[in-house]
Amino acid sequence: MRKIGVLYGGSSQHSRTYKTGEFAKHIHRLIPIREFAEADLDSLDVLLIPSQTHLKLLEANVGKIKAFAESGRIVVTFGPQGFDWLPEHNWEFRPTNFWWWLEKDADSGLALPGHEHDLFQNYLTLEDATWHQHGVYWPMEGCETLVATKDGGSVMYIDKVNTKGIWINTTLDPDYHYGSYFMPATESFLRGFLPWLEEGKI
Amino acid sequence: MTTDFLVLDAGTIFARTRSQGVADQPDFEFLDIYSLGEADLSPYKCLVVTGFSDQDYLYDMRHIIREFLDDRKVVIYCGNLVTDWLPGGKPFIAKDIKRFSDYRVKKVSDHPIFRGVEEDDMTLKKGVAGFFARGHHPVPEGGEVLLTLNEGEPITYIDRSSTNGTILAHVGFDLFGYMQTDEKKSTDCISMQLRNWVLEEYEALQKGLVAS
Repeated sequence: MRKIGVLYGGSSQHSRTYKTGEFAKHIHRLIPIREFAEADLDSLDVLLIPSQTHLKLLEANVGKIKAFAESGRIVVTFGPQGFDWLPEHNWEFRPTNFWWWLEKDADSGLALPGHEHDLFQNYLTLEDATWHQHGVYWPMEGCETLVATKDGGSVMYIDKVNTKGIWINTTLDPDYHYGSYFMPATESFLRGFLPWLEEGKI
Repeated sequence: MTTDFLVLDAGTIFARTRSQGVADQPDFEFLDIYSLGEADLSPYKCLVVTGFSDQDYLYDMRHIIREFLDDRKVVIYCGNLVTDWLPGGKPFIAKDIKRFSDYRVKKVSDHPIFRGVEEDDMTLKKGVAGFFARGHHPVPEGGEVLLTLNEGEPITYIDRSSTNGTILAHVGFDLFGYMQTDEKKSTDCISMQLRNWVLEEYEALQKGLVAS
């Protein structure tokens, strides 16, 4: 079982998702962002960077997060990012359509190139990853995109090429919405994603 | 013009985008939340805390917030309380939603902050309910309820009893966030009416006209 640590921001959204709600059992350790610079990360296999993280403190700790990845371990990022810091991620901002599901013949615009991946074979469906996106990544060749927009932009991808570790980056923000009691799909997402992170094939 | 309002900047991407309209106001200043411990709050009349804030840090700094209020000033908090940093504040209770109408917002009184604001405009956004409030905070003793959900759960209250100052607590998004809206709805006037109410409340507090 992989041990997951969360860069914890102390907001009500982070509190419900990572500390007090049904998903807290998947989290080995909450690391308060104020204490992250001095924190010992040796006991962790996975470092999760939530959405809605304090940007200045995140920026001040990018080197430490990249060092964690370079030690051969796993970094997970939920979106959207406030500045460019992920390895070779090539972010493209797109205005969010919060309302696509109200439109006639509603189409989320998502595709599942990763349908054979363990995450989508055994833990999640595309519907579980469907609410809205704040933009897309255009990752480097060699990265594996699991969820994409229909024009090929990456909504979730696994990067094993840019560091000695593994990055799982998504523009989705399930923790913010679950923590806000908003959007049922985010609950389904976390019910599959966090157990996969602990025990699945990555 | 003096900078009467100090907004604690929670520092996250959404906190920043939602504060853009406030940032254009000459009487509002921003302070990074983690600088609160070293800040001089004496020039300000009102401290504004938003829903993305680190409430573990606010708990550590609760004596500063308490002292600010005891100087007969105003604190506005919009969000879900999860730690015990706000005097009189009780933990957020999520609404168990069974039907669409459970999100219906009701005005309890004709308070100047929400004067002219239609209940439907608070309840619905593009025909969808649930943006304004998704639960409630139990009201401190002596608190004045302004808005409720459909079964009477208080979502916005004023507390003049817990401290020498005045607290306005609201469970939803930042009520000053309506400064940037161009929705052409009656909710557009909430932020300026709130601003005006704060300034009047502050004057009354300083003159000793508000009983605590």
